[in-house]
Amino acid sequence: MSPEKLIFSFEELGREHKQLVGKKCANLGEMLRMGLAVPPGFATSIAMYRRFAKETGAAAEISGYVSQLGQLKSKNIAVFDEMSRKIRGMIESKKMPPALAKMIASHYKELEKKGEAPDGAVSVRSSGTESRPGMFETYLNVVGIEDVLDKIKKVWSSAYTARAIALRVNKDIPVTGDELGVAVSRMINARSAGISFTLDPITGDTSKIIINSSWGLGEGVVSGDEDVDRFVVDKKTLKIIESSTGKKAKKVVNKKRGVEWGDVPSKQQSALSLSNDEVSAIAKLALFLEERLGRAQDTEWAINADAIPPDNIVLLQTRPAGLTVKKPESVTDRMIDLIVQKFYRP
Amino acid sequence: MPKKKRVAKIWDAVPGYDFIEEVDLAAIPSWFLDGTHSVPPLTPLFAYQWARFCSHGFKAACYKLGIPTCKGWEIRIFNGGIYCGLHIVRDQKEIAQREVKFRQALRPWLEDFDHLWDGYKKELLGIYDKLKELDVDRATNLQLYHHNYDLMEAYMRMWEIHFIGMYSSFNTWLLLEALTKERFGLSDQEAEFQDMMRGFDNKVYQMDKKLWEFGQLAIEMKLANIFKENKPPAILPKLKQSEKGKEWLKQFMDYMTTDDIGGWRMQHFTDFNEPYWLEDPATPIGLVKDNIMRGNSYDLEVTRVEIAKKRRAAIAAFLKRVPPEEKELFEGLIKLAGKASSYSEEHDLYCELSVHALMRRGYLAMGRKLAQSGTIDNPEDILMLNPDEIDRVIMVPEANDMRWLTRRRRAEWEKAHKTTNPPVLTRRASLEEAINLDLLPSRDAIAIKIVVGEMPQPKPKLKANLWGICGCPGQAEGPARVVTKYVELKKVQPGDILVCPSTNPTWTPVFGLVNGVITDTGGTLCHAAIIGREYGVPTIVNAQKATAKIKTGQRVKIDATNGAIYILDK
Repeated sequence: MSPEKLIFSFEELGREHKQLVGKKCANLGEMLRMGLAVPPGFATSIAMYRRFAKETGAAAEISGYVSQLGQLKSKNIAVFDEMSRKIRGMIESKKMPPALAKMIASHYKELEKKGEAPDGAVSVRSSGTESRPGMFETYLNVVGIEDVLDKIKKVWSSAYTARAIALRVNKDIPVTGDELGVAVSRMINARSAGISFTLDPITGDTSKIIINSSWGLGEGVVSGDEDVDRFVVDKKTLKIIESSTGKKAKKVVNKKRGVEWGDVPSKQQSALSLSNDEVSAIAKLALFLEERLGRAQDTEWAINADAIPPDNIVLLQTRPAGLTVKKPESVTDRMIDLIVQKFYRP
Repeated sequence: MPKKKRVAKIWDAVPGYDFIEEVDLAAIPSWFLDGTHSVPPLTPLFAYQWARFCSHGFKAACYKLGIPTCKGWEIRIFNGGIYCGLHIVRDQKEIAQREVKFRQALRPWLEDFDHLWDGYKKELLGIYDKLKELDVDRATNLQLYHHNYDLMEAYMRMWEIHFIGMYSSFNTWLLLEALTKERFGLSDQEAEFQDMMRGFDNKVYQMDKKLWEFGQLAIEMKLANIFKENKPPAILPKLKQSEKGKEWLKQFMDYMTTDDIGGWRMQHFTDFNEPYWLEDPATPIGLVKDNIMRGNSYDLEVTRVEIAKKRRAAIAAFLKRVPPEEKELFEGLIKLAGKASSYSEEHDLYCELSVHALMRRGYLAMGRKLAQSGTIDNPEDILMLNPDEIDRVIMVPEANDMRWLTRRRRAEWEKAHKTTNPPVLTRRASLEEAINLDLLPSRDAIAIKIVVGEMPQPKPKLKANLWGICGCPGQAEGPARVVTKYVELKKVQPGDILVCPSTNPTWTPVFGLVNGVITDTGGTLCHAAIIGREYGVPTIVNAQKATAKIKTGQRVKIDATNGAIYILDK
């Protein structure tokens, strides 16, 4: 692949491209290679951000500003807030250079031409070379090239959220140490969405597949804010050994542009958001990914309302699964968890 | 067995706990000097008790609480100094197993620290009351034989409780510091953090206040001149000459004998060789005198109320920066970390100072028996023996001569006063390597915050002469007063900058007098740092060689906030 190329269809990518386009984009490409259903889309490379920053003068402005700040290690969050406001302004106020805008527009048009995004709605997500959950921004249901260009700049600038700056400073990573690739992919009209784990994130059990699901887009499940349906599938027999209904009062849905939380009709609130066939199909996909990638996976998927089973399951991203600590019930639990994690874990 | 000539040296200073290079370095690669408790050099009896039972307390607390990465410390004595070797848990599986227990054992302390600590306080006071029941002056040899074991049993239990309280409270201080550092860039060496941890009402402060009130009472009873005109030892006989004086003294001695702690506290923290207050009331009377000499301008109560007010304001200001969903967590942690600060101070009174007073009383009584029989030269020579040796001779002292041993040990002990102990005994290449491999992996809160302390970080721009870490923020200037022993503390003048190896609760009253404090050792939870904050005195701790580099009388400026020390006269 020539080093000058700054934008790629997912089809051109694989897991060897993590440094080029970031982990998320590389994994989407890898899933496509495996023949899995991934929403079509394209990735802008980390080099594209660098070119943007160089050509517009943003890079020089940022490094000039950062170099006069001095020692940041013991600064408080107010300082990082101020830095964030300034640096994000330096990026977002720049116009996208015409050459870059042209590349992006052409790939965006390609998506539309294929008839895959008739209304032009896409998601714009960050894709860094390091895993930094929750540090950078994601924009859903972005419509029209102007909005797409704007949101790509906003994802780039989200490398400088106050929380991301504070994290880098505390870990002795340079302030400018995170540069992002961006994944632009077709929005799915999701009826239901959620996550599958091939390792129980709480107990560490590897003999089962855990599936969490809710109505609408997956955001409510991913953030862990909402009650969800939970399914447990035995890895050997692929039988559903447990299914429980969560009270799903809210769901994230598309509006004209962007997304919003909407009410779930009362009849649907306590109905399961997946059929048994869908649960089995998701479990098989999760197991397939684990086998192919060689370790336990945490996978985001959606049920496409516009497609017919069994072709209605779309994979949005996958990453190595880790143990998450059980959501604590009390302040004391949180203190104990934090003490253990901060001081007594290697 | 290695074919070395000599392995065990059973008749050395502290049999069983003398540091023996070839044995101890093979077992644990690095032994760190506990500088806070080792100056001046320890008497053999005290060193024996400390090495045996303080290390037991560490191990018992680490076991009971299931501290995941540390099974406690061993202690050896070298040249009168305490050296600590840590049992670090390095196996990941074992750490994970210990974590399960740790989570369960820590919980009740987080939920109700005060209740648990109150229970332990009661238990200790009960043990002490039983020890006090023995009239040591009339005790038979057999009763003293048993008393030797009762004292050791009390000492063993005291250290278990001491470290259970300490480990469980310090973890919350460490967590609060880690979180404020990570989220707000705020370390516990900064004023904003420390202001949230001051102005607590605990036993140390209550006793200081009581002594201050006795000063006010003396002024009201028109006895002030007796205090002003006489040296402390002469005040007591003078008071006895008048009715009013007798009345004041009665009230004072009532407090000394009936209070939980009262006169049962040592002047000197880590040894048995100086009197406790009840034994020599001139010490607390001298403190009353200091309060009277300071006059009306010094109002302990007012200072304290202001610091407590400042604390509430500092906490409110900090909580405004905390996101709403984290408020409850931070509020709870600030409260618990405050208890760590308070415990760190108060436990000394209920733990070490009381039990050491009782041990001094008991062992001196045994010393008198042995001296009367000619077993040793004088009662204080009992401090040159260890409990096993006392056990051997106390029943029939007249048939035993231990002077060959007490004389030799006393000569060695006196010689040790003239030497300085190295910071570490190690088979590693350097101090840094020893710290990195044999101390930090223990994640031991006590090592990091008190005994060894964090290393100073010089700020070259400030061009200071010496560096320490901030114990209490602020600036101060004044003549240096280098003090290495409690007895020299009397020389401290108002406005001095106190320079010392470390401080302990018996030094507390002097904090009302000085402009600033510099110590060679300690961390942000050591005594000097906590009392500096409670009295609002700028304090720098862990300045390493301050007592060696600064001379009494030199003008010194300290910028405690930055840990910077300037010697103005060179």
